[in-house]
Amino acid sequence: MKKTLTAKEVLARLPAGAEGELYEVHRQVRPLLFRSGTLESLRSTETAGRALRVIVDGRLGFSTTTDLDDGNTLIRNALDSAQYGETAGFHFPSPLGGSEVSCFDPGVESLSDEEMVAIGKEVIARINAEFPQVQVHVGVRREVEEVYLLNTSGLESSSRRTLFQLQVAAQVVGEQDIFFVTDEAISRRRQDVSPSSLVENILRLLQWSERTASLPSGKMPVVFQGMATATLLLPFLYGLNGRDVYQHTSPLSDFLGRPAFDPRFTLVDDGRLPFAYLSSPTDDEGIPTSRKVLVQEGVVRQFLYDLKTAALAGASSTGNGYKGQGPFGGDFRRRPDVAPSSWLIAPGEKRLEEILGNLDQALLVEEVLGLGQGNVVAGEFSNNVELGFLVRRGEVAGRVKNTMIAGNAYELLRDHLLALGDRPRWVMGWLYTPAIVLDRVNVVSG
Amino acid sequence: MREEIERALKRSRADFTDIRIEQIWRTRIAFEGPHLENLETWSETGGIVRCRVGGGWGIAVFNTLDDLPERVADAERIARLVSAEQREHLEIPPAPPIQDEVRVSLKKDPRAIPLPEKLALVQRYNERMLKESPRIVSTQAAYADTFRVVTIANSEGTFIVQECPDTTLLLAALAREDTNIQRAWEMLGEAAGFELVEGQEEKAEKAARRALDLLRARPVQGGVYTVIVNPELAGVLIHEAFGHLCEADFLAKNPAMRQLLTPGRTVGSPELNVVEDGYLPGRRGNAPYDDEGTPRRRVYLIRNGVLEGFLHSRETAARMGGQPTGNARAISYQYEPIVRMRNTYIDRGQATFEEMLRGVEHGVYACGFVGGNTGLGQFTFSAAYAYEIVHGEIGEMLREVVLTGNIFETLHHIDRIGDDLSIYGGAGGCGKEEQQGLPVTLGGPHVRIQNLTVGGRTA
Repeated sequence: MKKTLTAKEVLARLPAGAEGELYEVHRQVRPLLFRSGTLESLRSTETAGRALRVIVDGRLGFSTTTDLDDGNTLIRNALDSAQYGETAGFHFPSPLGGSEVSCFDPGVESLSDEEMVAIGKEVIARINAEFPQVQVHVGVRREVEEVYLLNTSGLESSSRRTLFQLQVAAQVVGEQDIFFVTDEAISRRRQDVSPSSLVENILRLLQWSERTASLPSGKMPVVFQGMATATLLLPFLYGLNGRDVYQHTSPLSDFLGRPAFDPRFTLVDDGRLPFAYLSSPTDDEGIPTSRKVLVQEGVVRQFLYDLKTAALAGASSTGNGYKGQGPFGGDFRRRPDVAPSSWLIAPGEKRLEEILGNLDQALLVEEVLGLGQGNVVAGEFSNNVELGFLVRRGEVAGRVKNTMIAGNAYELLRDHLLALGDRPRWVMGWLYTPAIVLDRVNVVSG
Repeated sequence: MREEIERALKRSRADFTDIRIEQIWRTRIAFEGPHLENLETWSETGGIVRCRVGGGWGIAVFNTLDDLPERVADAERIARLVSAEQREHLEIPPAPPIQDEVRVSLKKDPRAIPLPEKLALVQRYNERMLKESPRIVSTQAAYADTFRVVTIANSEGTFIVQECPDTTLLLAALAREDTNIQRAWEMLGEAAGFELVEGQEEKAEKAARRALDLLRARPVQGGVYTVIVNPELAGVLIHEAFGHLCEADFLAKNPAMRQLLTPGRTVGSPELNVVEDGYLPGRRGNAPYDDEGTPRRRVYLIRNGVLEGFLHSRETAARMGGQPTGNARAISYQYEPIVRMRNTYIDRGQATFEEMLRGVEHGVYACGFVGGNTGLGQFTFSAAYAYEIVHGEIGEMLREVVLTGNIFETLHHIDRIGDDLSIYGGAGGCGKEEQQGLPVTLGGPHVRIQNLTVGGRTA
């Protein structure tokens, strides 16, 4: 029998002795897409979902539904899975306080379809004004989300969040050459997403791409900038994950309190930056988010935990239990799991131009293909340089083609860090990082 | 439900309206190391309306079916807004209405298998990997079954109900020796039932042993090599190198790309045939109709080395003067269909494996896949494991083999195509734009490629 139950009533109906946690989300999403300069589609998504996690006799059960009218099936599925579920090792937390973090911008909520269309058209017009042959594809997206989190330990919270995203891809099609120059910005606040700065960055890269240059294979200094910095930081998602550490599959597992990297390398996880994409007052388990130094001047200081992993490892949750939050998006259908908040890399002192001016020859990489392929757990990367430039004594000589870079991110950041730029920028709404300059990176030119 | 859908369609004042409703049942079980990480079953229902007005699409997604007429009105309003931005009003020719009901018969319908039985099987595979060696420090044994019932109805009178099963298994082992950490896996995926994943102990054993073998493998020396790819990797190569490029939504509005990809252009050696096949029953991604209700077809992308056809939705076909090919697909009701592959493979050639090895002085035999990625011009794909080829013989095991090429050269450099076609469905899927993890299959025979760039250590 279907029976409409409120979130509270669902928890109230659990059998005596059972613990429960109910996560409910209502989302409104508006993505629009311009392909080759023309508006192709606009979608209005209005969905809702519930996830119920239970602990019965110390075992975890989980289920989700989009049918908010059918509370009983949700309860039954969660209880069924708890019969066979794994040992929890933790209790759902009582309210732990924690102050607000700004996540809602009325300027995003009130953004009209017409305004979003206008933003896309302006970006296209500005790029095509200078590069008429370039095909410009633009995505504009706004989201408004209401999240409720309740548990049987008395936690009861709700939060409204907004998200605004602009993605631009400029496609160059030549007779023997096709490539993309892309950029994107994502924030919970409209003013943080600046179409102008995206356009300027893309125009700069398109200008640099007008010439090509070739370089010999060998080990050389490589500048990782923008999206390309993720090539080096992706391994840390595993290496600093409390579960990988507990299972001893992280190369960093033995380095707590010990130096593992160059002393100039500092990495901070911050869940409380106002309006950042990965910010929220609490994680999806109700633990207040925090700012913590994961790597301090090369020394590993902290790993990331959710409740379950913390229980296994004898640690405390760091407020990093998210339903798939991270650079690859979240979903109420998933269980909370260890995931990063915003990652901040401490900048260096010199301008990138100055660093490059002191190098005879360097490869500046803006984008790679095949992110995440290869033995990421071990820190290995091996990627095609989708967009990269040969720079001689600070002068851009031209775009390189058919080029691969490879190395071990952990080893390079330990032994071969040349410099960090002085101006961090946001990458994928996840990383706030300056350019990272490494020496002796393997470069293969086809 | 049929009446409600038809009533909502009738009330739409758009030029064209379609409604797709999905009911989904799913189970997921995942072990990581000795721990059960995930065990869940769920079901959900949701839908999507698309309205087309004057050449613009308006789309509305929902997961309560109570206010269908309101959603249609929403989509219609958005379509008018999009329409106002169109430079030209492309008309999509009407398609003959289809009324059909497609029911699958599975040997073992996953919905009827009790959860403890599924759990026990996955646990057994997981334990098999863990007990292989103390150097297996972690594992991942992940099972998923999905059963979707998709209803596709449109204002032209089409009303189709089709069932789409999908069952996958991933068995991965992580081996560690000091700082050397290696991961290996075996995957299975088909439009099948629970029977697919039974009796696969051998795969668990294979994954664990390969992870251990990889501890002894050498990282590949970066450079330009003659590479033989195995059937699985040949599938990834053609999916990334050419399949995506033939998805007509990348071309339809892009005159420069259309000029570059004119049918009749020679793109590879005369022996090269590439097929995108809707007719592989039981394979992942296989279904009689796509998410616009277009019947599946078999398309030659490349025939005898010459570019022949593209993959189309109804809109891209209209724009490019082609026929819809049944390739308009969506990962779920939350997204509109876009042009996607289903079962893409290189057709068999004539060479034996021994013939391919002959004459290769120093090359790479690359097997299995981690993944692939395309920038439409350049592409990359990575092998799960590899061997060096020395003087025409298979030598030591290699790791970290990531290959790269570009569409202007690489296919021309294919100089041997094997006689041993195989087709694979993995546990992952294909990603494009915002829609990740779409079930597809891929494959081919062994294929030899000259002058392929392999990333890696340099002197």
